[in-house]
Amino acid sequence: MSNPLRGEVIRLYKNLLYLGREYPKGTVYFRERLKSAFLKNKDVTDPEKIRKLIDRGEFVIKELEALYFLRKYRAMKKRYYDPEH
Amino acid sequence: MAARVLSRCVRSLSRGAVVFNRCDVSAVTAALPLSRDRVFSHLAAGHKPLLAQTPARIQWRWYGDLPPLTLESIRDRVLYVLKLYDKINPEQLQVSSHFMKDLGLDSLDQVEIIMAMEDEFGFEIPDAEAEKLMTPDEIVQYIADKKDVYE
Repeated sequence: MSNPLRGEVIRLYKNLLYLGREYPKGTVYFRERLKSAFLKNKDVTDPEKIRKLIDRGEFVIKELEALYFLRKYRAMKKRYYDPEH
Repeated sequence: MAARVLSRCVRSLSRGAVVFNRCDVSAVTAALPLSRDRVFSHLAAGHKPLLAQTPARIQWRWYGDLPPLTLESIRDRVLYVLKLYDKINPEQLQVSSHFMKDLGLDSLDQVEIIMAMEDEFGFEIPDAEAEKLMTPDEIVQYIADKKDVYE
């Protein structure tokens, strides 16, 4: 409760949940994987390690954003250009 | 907040307009909320007795808004959302049951519940306050405070 990084972890979890809503394999799949990933590290107490794990979460957020961007780009390309181009 | 107050004013004004012109065929347009002058001119033209005999009417125009929240409707909606949540057993759910102690959830589940409440009621709950909401009762109380519902 008193850990100052707790708020940040919860914020990260919330952000990832929001992003997971559009995950190609489905929200439920994403939510289960996300939860198990967080639970796997629930006993980590070292602030430095927590920091590292949060950074990894931020990296996943970036990856997800890139994934969605690429998906959108491909859909647009398919819609507006001929296949041979 | 300002939008709520404004819509309330418009509602009460239009309600008045409808009541004034109930028996007046030509005054359909006067029921528009902004035609205040016309409503008053009708009043001055001898429709005053009408006012005295019209009973208080139930509001029936919402202008695209939902009916106002009450503590009861908030509680029903909160419990409905919680019942649909797959990790909660609907039979164990009470208004006062603690998410962690009574229902066996963890703090990550609680975050998911708060997100579901944000979706249901359409406003964001800051993290600092979200982590204090541990029973359905507290959620109802918090939403009622934020939405200015007191009855």
